Order: sequence, then structure tokens, then C-alpha cells
Amino acid sequence: MTSAAGSPANPAPSVDALLETSMRDIGIPPRPTILDRIATEMQKDDPDFKRLATIIGADVSLSASLIKTANSPFFGFRSRVRSVSEALMVLGLDVASRAIAGIILRKVFPNSLHLERFWDASARIARLSGWLAQKVTDHKLRPDDAYTFGLFRDCGIPVLLKRFPGYEKVLDQANRETDRSFTAIEDAQIPTNHAMVGCLLAQSWWLPEETCLAIRHHHDANVLETPSISPPLTSRYRIAIAQFAEHLIQRHSGLSHTNEWPKLGPGCLRLLGITEEEVDGVLADAIPVIEAED
Amino acid sequence: MHYPSPVNSKLSISVHSQRKSSKDMHAKGIDPTTGFLDRGECLALTTRMAAQATQTGRPLASLWIDLDRLKQVNESFGHLGGDTVIVQIAERLREKSGGRAEWCRMGGDEFVGLATDCDAAHALQLAHDVLQAIETPLRFGEFALHPSASIGVALLEPNEDPFAFLERADRAMSTAKRQGGGRVVASGDEPVPGRLGILLAREELEIENRLHLALENGGLTLHYQPIIGFDGRIEAVEALMRCGASNELIPPGKFIPVAEKTGLVIRLGEWSLLAGARFARDLEDAGRRTKVAINVSRAQLVSPKFTQALHAALLCANVNAELIELELTESLFMDISETVQSNLRAARDAGVGLAIDDFGTGYSCLANLKDIPATKLKLDRAFVTVLPHDRRAFAVVKAMTQLGRELGMTIVAEGVEKIEQLDSLREAGVDAIQGYIHARPMPEEALMNWFHERKAT
Repeated sequence: MTSAAGSPANPAPSVDALLETSMRDIGIPPRPTILDRIATEMQKDDPDFKRLATIIGADVSLSASLIKTANSPFFGFRSRVRSVSEALMVLGLDVASRAIAGIILRKVFPNSLHLERFWDASARIARLSGWLAQKVTDHKLRPDDAYTFGLFRDCGIPVLLKRFPGYEKVLDQANRETDRSFTAIEDAQIPTNHAMVGCLLAQSWWLPEETCLAIRHHHDANVLETPSISPPLTSRYRIAIAQFAEHLIQRHSGLSHTNEWPKLGPGCLRLLGITEEEVDGVLADAIPVIEAED
Repeated sequence: MHYPSPVNSKLSISVHSQRKSSKDMHAKGIDPTTGFLDRGECLALTTRMAAQATQTGRPLASLWIDLDRLKQVNESFGHLGGDTVIVQIAERLREKSGGRAEWCRMGGDEFVGLATDCDAAHALQLAHDVLQAIETPLRFGEFALHPSASIGVALLEPNEDPFAFLERADRAMSTAKRQGGGRVVASGDEPVPGRLGILLAREELEIENRLHLALENGGLTLHYQPIIGFDGRIEAVEALMRCGASNELIPPGKFIPVAEKTGLVIRLGEWSLLAGARFARDLEDAGRRTKVAINVSRAQLVSPKFTQALHAALLCANVNAELIELELTESLFMDISETVQSNLRAARDAGVGLAIDDFGTGYSCLANLKDIPATKLKLDRAFVTVLPHDRRAFAVVKAMTQLGRELGMTIVAEGVEKIEQLDSLREAGVDAIQGYIHARPMPEEALMNWFHERKAT
């Protein structure tokens, strides 16, 4: 995904326009117009896949990323997808639209080595989340919902990095915090936090409400298991799956950059109905997914 | 134990005679107390009537009736007392339905009525008639009882299993009971969990679905209405939310209550904050520094997360906070908690303006003015519509204007439609005007055109 996304050799018109927009520093990037075009097509009784494939195909790097997404292991399609039309057919417009949102999200922020690593990590968590949704939630959560959440969960971070020069230090401190919640550390030093910013960004891109609420609450340990109505269970599954995915990736690599699992892990496992003893078994099965595309 | 003897001797005889032959009647599937069909026969009858309804295409309705508080009668007067009530109620059912329904006793204090050739409107009418009859006070010895019932109504659906059909009426009855009894609930009207898990009635569910569709398909928009000073300056534009596709907008009166019930009101409010803030930024980029006034709900302001959400919106829009004004709903003043006050202070500290909306009616009162660091007072349209003729209203407007001034606020009059009102408001000392006299709320593009036209003239 990285090479396709970051390649300046083939700047398709729409990406150019998007980058230009984000350079103007208008805060968070507005919803990409291509998503509106897909939405318009989806609302028709007989959506024209060919037309959409042409629109998406005009953007080479977007096409490449979409095909790559459709071939992700968690979608489990037997034959490999080779064209945008095929990707649209196998994913369906709904899923394709969110996959495209995720791809563009990464492109609209100015590139830097630091952010590349951040997006790579998000992509890995998203992929594993999609796979885990099939393995452990017993169809309570659609894999593509888990996948989209993984991509957008931390999208508030690049926004804050751009706006607050000292935010990197805040992040370091929040990552090292063992007791208070991640967002409590942010709230103490800046007037908002990445969960809230991410939630607003996702909402302004018209992502499903359950996804927005999950982004908003993904560091709230007490919402995971509180039998309350808000956020709804499907939001809580999204949070638990992504946190579990992050943990498995860290466990596999032996590198742990965060202290979130001790704070959120027990609640996530209980919500997912997994015991601590079963975690290694899940990890063993997940290794091919974790190592894929790296 | 002594039981008061029923006043109605006829009923007394009826109870007696029915008891005497109870064995025979029971054998025929008849409830010995009421003479109605018993539970087993009811199921058989429903099956027959459902088959008939399917054949003839005529609607079949079922009413499931459960008497409220019969347990208390039994506890006070024993089962014979309860039976006497049952007999009298059965008599009323028979009389009131006048052959419109076949009646069955399901046991205890539950009855089922089956009405053939009876559509939804007639079934509900029958249920209400029956409820009214049941609720007529009933003399029991020297006591007057006030019976009541919960009634569920269902209409047979095509190819529906007769038992499922009865069960639906039973479920609707349970809902009526949960809602406090003494009411009729139609099957399909029972609350069901909405997408966010909150129990909603069918109509509300439909609106919740449309709200979610709007949230996911870009179906939310803001329209803007200018607020114009007497000096001709544009004081601000108020952002008003529109929800749904342009050809099928959901009226605010319908979507706001559902949004409040489901908690979506907070999210709609946050969406407005960001969209309104972005528009303020767009206006500034277009060389037009105009304040955008955004409505915030009570639910948003009582939340400890409000300040983070406000800052997130300002930051995401990358807008100067001074270009944003929050319009505070008057229901906020029911209870100004410490959280609300600290949220409002934080907003002011950030540089955001605060306008008190619909001031002067409802819950807003003078005492609140000292607790809220407001920068603007918007006088309720109720004062404006009676101007200039109502001199007392004029006196109140003038006094409120002076008070607001003393507190350093800008005074706006809402709902101004006539030129004569303008003169009165100017005389009272009001600073700015909002209303159809200047402009209706309009989409972004129309507002931009309006700006251009205004400049040209």
C-alpha cells in the first residue's frame, strides 16, 4: 500500500486535488468527492459499476490500493482480484466505498516518515481486525466494519500532530501512562483529544454512526463492559477487536509502544469471550495475516 | 370469611347457575364463570376464523384484554369477589361489542375477542369502546371498584400462523400494561430496539433509520438566516439544521424528539458545530468575516465532553473562535449545573460568543442572566409578533433590552416580519433583527448569492 500511495511519479488528478486541499491547512480534510460519486451511484436502483470503475480507474494509485484491499486475506475471496471492476464486484459498493475512504484518508495528510510508520501500523491493525472479526466475534461484527474502524481509529492523531507542535511529546507521555486513560493525558495538556477529533472527522466523512462512536470511546475502559446503550454493542466490538489486534501484533513483534492492553485488554477479552489462555492460539493462527504485505 | 354480597342479584344467580353446571360446560370448551369459550376452544376458533379470513380476504382482528389490578380485588375479597368482577366485565364485553366479536376467556383475568370483517380502524374503535365499558365504576357491596384493562390489538397478516397472530395481540397487551395499563396498544406499535439499542415506537424507529441514513449519506445540511443590525451591518448568520434528502426533509419537530431519545442529538449537534465552523472559515476565506451562530442542545451542554468537542470542531475547521457563536436553547435553563457553567466558561475563554435563544418565555428567567456569561440576548418572537400595537409587550421588550445592555450584551429580536415591528424595535433599543423581513433561512450557495446581491444594491 505504501509504495502505491506514496508514489509521486503517478499523481492522478483527484489525489493531486486532495493534497492541494489539505495543504491549504483548512483543518481536517473534507470528505473526498469520489465518495459522493459512489454514494450517488449506490442510491440508484441499478448502480452502474462500469461508470464507477472508470471514475476510480482514473486514479492509478487509488485503483492499485483498492485492488490490494480486495485481495486482503480477511475478505477470503478464492480467486485474486485483478481490476477495479472486479474489486467493486467482490467487495460490493458499500464495502468498497469505506475501503476507498480508508485509502484516501492516508493520502490526504502530508507525507512524512513519521506518518508513514503510523499509517502502516493502522493498516496492519485494520487487516488483522477484519480477520479477527470473522474468527472471534461469531458474526456479531462485519469484517469490513472492523477493517474500516482499524483504519480510522487513530485518524485524530495526524490532525493533532499538524496543529500542536508539542503534541508528539503528549503522545509519548500518553503511550507510557499505565494508570490514567490515554485521552485523559491528552485532555490535561491540549484542549481536546485524538478520539474526539477522529470521531468528528469520521462523522464529517459520513462514516456509520457506530464507527464514529467507537472512535470516540476507544480509550474508555469503562464503556467496554458497561451494559449501557451508548455506545452500542457493535461499537464496543469494534473497539475490542482493534485493541486485541494491536495487542497480537505487539506480542508477535515483541515490541510494545503502548500501555493500552493492561488497561483495556481484560475488558476486551471478556467482551469477545476469549480467555487469556486462548490468546496464544489465536496469535498462532493470525501470524500469516500479521506478516502479510509487510 | 365474609364476602360482601353482589348487589346485582341477576349476576349472583348467574354465577350460581353457571357454577352448578360447570362440569358440563367445561366439557364443551366453555368457561363456566363467564359462559365464554375457554382457552382451548379459543385456539381452535382462531384457527377456523383465520382460515376463513384467508379464504374470503376479509380482515380478522384479535383483542387481548387483561384486567388491571384484579389481583388486588382477589386479595381483598377473595376469589369469589374476583369472579364476580369477571362476570360483570364479561357481561360488559358482550354488551358493548354487540355481536361484533366472539369472546373467549383465556383464564384468570384475560380475555380474547375475535372480530371478523374488522379492519385496523374498526378494531381500535372496538378496543376503545370495550375499554370505556370496562372502566365504568363497578359496585361491589358497599364498595365502588374502578376496573381498568390493558388491551392489545392485532390484525391477521397474510399467511400468518393463528398462534403467532394471537401472540402478537398478547405482546401488544403486555406493552399496554408496561405503559401503566388503562390503554390500547396495536401490535406493531410496541417499542422495539432501534439501531443504537434504545426502545422506540414504530414511527420513531422509521425516523431513527432516516436519521442514520442522513448521517451516513450526507443527508444533513445547514441553512443560514442572516441577522442584520439597524446600522445595516450583518451581525451574524444563524445555522439551522435540515435533515433528509431535499425532496423528503424530516421536519425538525419530528426528528428532534427522536434524536433526543436516542442520544443522536449530541452527534447531530457536533456535526452542526463542525459544519457551521467550516462555513465560517469558508466565509472568511471568501473575504467575508461573518459570525456563524450554531445551536447547541441541552444534551450537549450537560456533557463533560462538550468542551473537547467544541475545541475539536474549532480545530478541525481551523477557524477563528471569535467567528463562532453558540445559541443556547432555553430548556437549558431548567437546571444550570456546574458542568454546564464550566462548559460555558470554557467556550467564552476560547473566544466563542454565547447567545441566549428565545429569551423571555418558557424556562428562561432574569435570574439566569447573571449565571451565564452570554454575549447576546435573542428576544423570543412572541414579544415581536404583537408589536407595535401591544404597548405592554413593547414595555417588556424595552426593559429586557436595557437590562441586556447593562450586562454588555447585543440584543436581537427574532421572528420580525413587518415594517411596523422594525420601528418599535428600533425605538426599544434593539440592536439587530432576524426574520423573514430580511431573509429566510437558505442554503450556503443561496446565502452567498444573497450577500452579492445585497452588496450590489
